[in-house]
Amino acid sequence: MDTNLPKRRAANDLSQEALADAVGVTRQTINAIERDRYDPSLELAFELADYFDCRIEDLFEPPVDDE
Amino acid sequence: MLDTLHSPVETVAASPQRYKRVVYWIFAVGIAGLFAGIAFDQPLAGTIIYLAGTWLGSGLAAVLPRVSEATLIDERDRAVHRRASGLAVNVTAVVVITVVPALYALSAAEIVTITQTMWGGIWAISAFFLLWGGCLFYVDRFQ
Repeated sequence: MDTNLPKRRAANDLSQEALADAVGVTRQTINAIERDRYDPSLELAFELADYFDCRIEDLFEPPVDDE
Repeated sequence: MLDTLHSPVETVAASPQRYKRVVYWIFAVGIAGLFAGIAFDQPLAGTIIYLAGTWLGSGLAAVLPRVSEATLIDERDRAVHRRASGLAVNVTAVVVITVVPALYALSAAEIVTITQTMWGGIWAISAFFLLWGGCLFYVDRFQ
């Protein structure tokens, strides 16, 4: 799942560690989300959207279906 | 909460990577101790090291995430564990489905003899899958 989390983080001058602390996960999880190696739970996606004061769709883009 | 704990524990509980590394190493030392005890004909000493390692490792694995102010385990760790467990069950199932009926057939044809040890393994794996089925039912219905 594509995400613009790194851009959002950069815009807020926020490290992965700081964001992880803010939403209650490890830095490795934020890193995995940003590298498209882990899709967050709905709960975490809401936490992230809430933190950045935006909608989940503003942070994550579902994979494009070729069919 | 960590104020009441000793410094080494605080250090381990401060970072998820350090926490995992320490817990895995304690388990590894326990298991290595068991094999060393067997290899050097000191089974009691090996068993004591094994018990100490597994109990200490399990205790730290269970307690530290609860007492640490840092997030040591999160949803991704749990997802990784679930996937690894699922993969292990699937691999075991494939091996069992492939090997056990073949063993029965070869035994019936008197080409191989299923030894007591092999029967023990078959019973243990059968018991494991029975347990897995029970867990599947419980999680599906009650969780």
